[in-house]
Formats: sequence, C-alpha cells, structure tokens
Amino acid sequence: MIFIAIIIGCILGAILGINAPTISYMYSSYLAIAIIAALDSVFGGIASVINKNFDLKIFISGFFGNAILAILLTLLGQKLNVDIYLAAIVVFVWRMFMNLGIIRRYYVEKWSGKLENLANRKHKENNLDNKAQKN
Amino acid sequence: MSKKFIPIVLGLMCFALTYSICIQMKTVKTLNTTVGQSYEENNLRAQVLKMKEKYENRQADLEKATELLEKERQNATQNNSSLEEMERQIKEGNKLIGMTDVTGPGVIITLKDSTINPATVLDVSSLLVHDTDVLSIIGELKNAGAEAISINDERLVTTTAISCGGNIIDINKSKVGAPFVIKAIGLPEYLDAISRPGGYFERLEDDGIIPELKKSNKITINKYSGAINFKYAKNVE
Repeated sequence: MIFIAIIIGCILGAILGINAPTISYMYSSYLAIAIIAALDSVFGGIASVINKNFDLKIFISGFFGNAILAILLTLLGQKLNVDIYLAAIVVFVWRMFMNLGIIRRYYVEKWSGKLENLANRKHKENNLDNKAQKN
Repeated sequence: MSKKFIPIVLGLMCFALTYSICIQMKTVKTLNTTVGQSYEENNLRAQVLKMKEKYENRQADLEKATELLEKERQNATQNNSSLEEMERQIKEGNKLIGMTDVTGPGVIITLKDSTINPATVLDVSSLLVHDTDVLSIIGELKNAGAEAISINDERLVTTTAISCGGNIIDINKSKVGAPFVIKAIGLPEYLDAISRPGGYFERLEDDGIIPELKKSNKITINKYSGAINFKYAKNVE
C-alpha cells in the first residue's frame, strides 16, 4: 500500500515536473539542498513505517523543518563565505544510507525467512514421500 | 485514523520531491552549468548567470514598454491623417536605420573555424575566422545589394563597429564568437555571387575554412537592440 502510494506520487511528480517552468538560477542552489533534505525525510519515513514507530506529526514537521533549516544554513554559509551546505549534505546522505540499511535489512530478513520456510516444507514433503515409499 | 493517512502523506511527499527534482534538473540543464574546480570559480559563474538573468529580465521589460508605446502611438494617430502620415514616415525611417525587424528573401552564410589539424599548418591563425574575413564578406554582400545584414543576430547599423577582440569578435560592442551566422536580405541570386570563382569564399577555402551558403525565400532579421545616438553630427540648417 505504502509503496503503491510512493510510486504513484513519483510518477505524478515526474510528469508535472517535466512540464513545469524552470526556476531562477538564484534559487536553484537552495532548491537542491531542500531536495536532499526532503529525500532524507522520505527515507526516514519509510524506515519508521517498517519499524512501526511512524508518527505523522514528526514526519511532516521533519520534512518541512529539515528542508527549511538546510536552506537557511546554505544562506548563512553564503553570507559567511563558508560551504555549510556541504555539512548538511554529509549529514543527510549519511542518514539516508542508515535508513536505507534498515529498509534493506528488513526486506532481506523477510524474504530469506520466506525462502527458508519454503525449503523446509519441501524437505518435509520429501521425507514424507520417502517414508511412504519405504512403507 | 492516522494509519490511513500514512500512504497518502508519503505519496504526497514523494510527489513534491520528484516535482522539485524535475524542476531542478531542468534548470541546471537549461543553464548548462558544469561543476567548477573551486569555490571562487563557482561564485564567478553564479554571478555571471545572475547578471545574465537580470539583463534578460530588463530586456523583456523594455520589449513590453516598446509594445505599449507602439499601441499608444497607434491610438493617438488613428483619426488624424497628417499624424498618420508622420507615423508612416517614422516607421519607414526606422526600417532604413535598422530599428525594426525585417523579413524578405536572402542568404544565410555560416562561417566555422577550420577543422584541419593545427599541427599540420604553418600559420595556425589562418585556420580561424577573423574580423577581417567577416568585414570582407559584409563588403561583398553590400556590393551585391544586401539591404539588411546581421551577424549572430547583431544587426548591422550605421554606427556598427566590427573589431577583433581576441578569440571573439566585437560587433556593436557585444562579443560574438564562432560559428558566425551572417544573414543578409537582398536578391539571393546576386548575393550568391560571393561564392563565384575569385570571390572571397575561394580565399577562405584556400585557408581551409569551408563557408556554407544557403539561399532562402524568407529570412527574418532582428532589429538593432541598442540606441543610435549621434554626438557630433548635426543637421545642416
């Protein structure tokens, strides 16, 4: 259910985004950092859904809060002539990998469990067959 | 209750995310920026782009203002025959000095730097298109009766100067680089004479520069974007 919603959202966004007008170059660096922050929030959201501790309020506030904070940091960095946005990128991408790790582990364990179950069942059936043949 | 909202909210977030990614990608693509080596370089590039954007915005404003002026003028002169005659004269004069877009039959000449390997030539400079080449071609076009000429959309007017500016050419004080697209309006058969034996094209071909000439029945040449001001020339009373 969640993944269907995500895929529909992505496709709609891509279709509308391709037809959208371009923005001014002045704001494109802020949009870039906001995109990274939002991407981090979405991965975080998926990971928390898997951990079953998803909170809508925390998710939405994180989505907007992170993006706005990242934009403000970029702005401050430009005023101070320090590339603060690099730090923001490092943190966001690091967290993205962490969350991706949680998602990956969950699904690998789930699927490998299923495979083991299947293998066990086959094994049992084989044993039963062998017993039947012996009898 | 809130469990139902989770997929919707996540979907909406993903929508916003892909939407902004697409916009960003398009913006970066249209600006054709590459990642610079240093902070300084990136800053300079950003400044140039900002200036360019400002310039384009101003240009759009100017165009709007000109349109408005045109409309007002038309309204003012509508029911007055003498004013209408003056208006016609102004338009005719503007056409002659290159302040209006014009269209008509003519030729399009494309000049590209030679593709010959520079290591095989004695004089590397001969492989490039120079200001003198452009000037000579314009001279020939004018001899053949060209009525309006533009080089890379820089209209030639009475005050146009063409000079060498390093690896580019200064035309109307703006910088123009190769390939040069020279548009000329006139009788295409006459203008084509530039590719005759012994014409200037033959000299360019000797240097390894292969000019392209295309005849067309409909060429549009943009107006001069600046203002023509005479500082010294005064009307004789």
